[in-house]
Amino acid sequence: MAFIEHLHITDLTVAIFFLGLYGAMTQRNIIKTIISVGIMDIGAISFFMLANHKPGAKPPVVPTPPQIMADPVPQALMITAIVIGVSVIAMCLAMYMRVAYRYGTADWNILIRRLEK
Amino acid sequence: MAVSIPLHFLVLLPVGVGAVGYFLPRRWYHLALLVMNIAILALSILTFIEVRWGAQIIQHIAGWPDWIAIKLVADKYSAPLVVLTAIFFAGTFVFSTRADYTDKTFLFLFVMLESALIGVFLSGDIFNIYVLIELGMIAIAILIMYKQDKQSVYDAMLYLMMNFIAMAFMLLGIGYLYRITGVLDLDALVARLPLLDNPRAVIVPYAMIMTAIALKSALFPLFSWLPRAHGAPSAPGIVSAVLSGVQVKAGVYLLVRLSAVFSPVIDATPFFMVLGFVTSVVGFLLAIAQKDIKLILAYHTVSQVGLIVMGLNLGSDVAFWGAMYHIINHALFKGLLFLTAGVIIEEYGSRSYAEIRGVLRRMPAIGIGTLAGVLGITGAPFFNGSISKYFIQQGLQGDFGGIGMFLINLGTTLSFVKYSLILFGKPSVAPDRPLRRDPWVAGVSLVFGIACLAGGLLGGPTVALVYGPQYSAGGALSAEKITTFVVTLALAVALYALVVRRIGGFLASIRQFKFSFNQITVVLTLFFVGLLGYTWWAGG
Repeated sequence: MAFIEHLHITDLTVAIFFLGLYGAMTQRNIIKTIISVGIMDIGAISFFMLANHKPGAKPPVVPTPPQIMADPVPQALMITAIVIGVSVIAMCLAMYMRVAYRYGTADWNILIRRLEK
Repeated sequence: MAVSIPLHFLVLLPVGVGAVGYFLPRRWYHLALLVMNIAILALSILTFIEVRWGAQIIQHIAGWPDWIAIKLVADKYSAPLVVLTAIFFAGTFVFSTRADYTDKTFLFLFVMLESALIGVFLSGDIFNIYVLIELGMIAIAILIMYKQDKQSVYDAMLYLMMNFIAMAFMLLGIGYLYRITGVLDLDALVARLPLLDNPRAVIVPYAMIMTAIALKSALFPLFSWLPRAHGAPSAPGIVSAVLSGVQVKAGVYLLVRLSAVFSPVIDATPFFMVLGFVTSVVGFLLAIAQKDIKLILAYHTVSQVGLIVMGLNLGSDVAFWGAMYHIINHALFKGLLFLTAGVIIEEYGSRSYAEIRGVLRRMPAIGIGTLAGVLGITGAPFFNGSISKYFIQQGLQGDFGGIGMFLINLGTTLSFVKYSLILFGKPSVAPDRPLRRDPWVAGVSLVFGIACLAGGLLGGPTVALVYGPQYSAGGALSAEKITTFVVTLALAVALYALVVRRIGGFLASIRQFKFSFNQITVVLTLFFVGLLGYTWWAGG
């Protein structure tokens, strides 16, 4: 089990990303796939947040001296990405509600069969 | 031309006018947006003139230094595409002057899409590109389900989720890239990537970003979202025209842009060349199987995008610029075909090619426009498609390339023999039904049709005018080429009559075959693994 000591927290975020991808590949329930896609997005965002992370860095707000500041670029960018992610997930859920009312199912495969009629 | 136009105007003006003018009554709102679009068109043409005969324009937002600021760049690749976008949106706004399907929310989303597209073309910063693609994606998802009839909500949901997964891949790729290089600016990436200690570290982010871009430009096997979005039953013709004319080109443009950024360390041109060819063949095979006229056109977009990607990656200059010219040509004729298809569907009340006949007699202007589009797309002599296909063909080497190109042409012609059946014969609507005459619709169709013809007659000079390089297009009109076209046409008609009409059951089974969401995700993952493996193998 020596390899565990070499693992970094960023490896965990990549694992979360691929866990979400696994969910999107295997789950037949629409809500579960929407959640999986959300997990993928969160994994990518966490990875980006941890890029260029230095141990002991302080949040990039004004009283902190620049030498010990964390890299401010990922934090600024990821606020945008989080907002986009939330709105897309919200839109997916809203569309799912329409689909569920119209076809009465939460299963991708049953949904496809009902479309043709 | 000392007057430099601030580039962020071009990006912010559509969405700004759309937001500020939202309180106006619908008719005035439409007019305000039309005026805004003409202004954008003028500004983009001025920008293009300055870029073409001057230097490229680089603008740093908020005056931050280079490599740190968000950057907008107008250069010889992006400026013509911005003009093309402006022409398209101005044209569709004129086209829909009397339309009753546009309300204010629809128009606002439509100009939001315009802002996002112009922004993607002008961005010089990879994260900015990501944000603007997401913005365009949300606008498109709402536009294609706007009327919420039939299965459009399902189509829009599938579109949104597929694209969101691809964009998550891109975000992770951008994160990797930022971690390795510490910059997001495209020029800075070009400067820093060759300096890396271990260039192989770039392979993973490259594969992630390119998977997303390949999905955006609808390459095989990731194109299943495109027919749903472009051929969506509930989307009006103008949305389909813009999506197929300009939006899918944003993906192709990014493919060119980002391949150039990564080219010092990773060269995947053979991969994309083969993929382009396969996309092209699969696209027309599926187009032949369709019945719905909008879906025929949508699958055909897949095929033509494949041809463009193949031309861009052939490694020859003539083919590269030919493919760049084909981007413009395809936008013109496919936009025209989608606009007229929307009108035809409205007039006949049907989407099946079997139920529509006699468009030329019933609606002469629309019919002539459709005919010009069909001649353009099949590469008929004197029309614009022939020129760009001729240039692409010049970059092909050996018998295999020639046969491949002939196959693509044959497939294109075959599916359009089927499509053009709607033009001829006796009109299949009751003759006493009153005909809606709309001069704006007819005018725009004819102008686009004339542009298809002009792009063919003046093919060589147009390429020289738009992009710079001088190539003679005289060979496209040689007796040999015209004979090839006639032979292709005859063969296509024969194949249609003898083969395609007899295998209806087989075609129906192709038509009904659909991937589920899980299968699409698996295909996306396999594509990513395949691209990763290829770059690993080719780089090692």
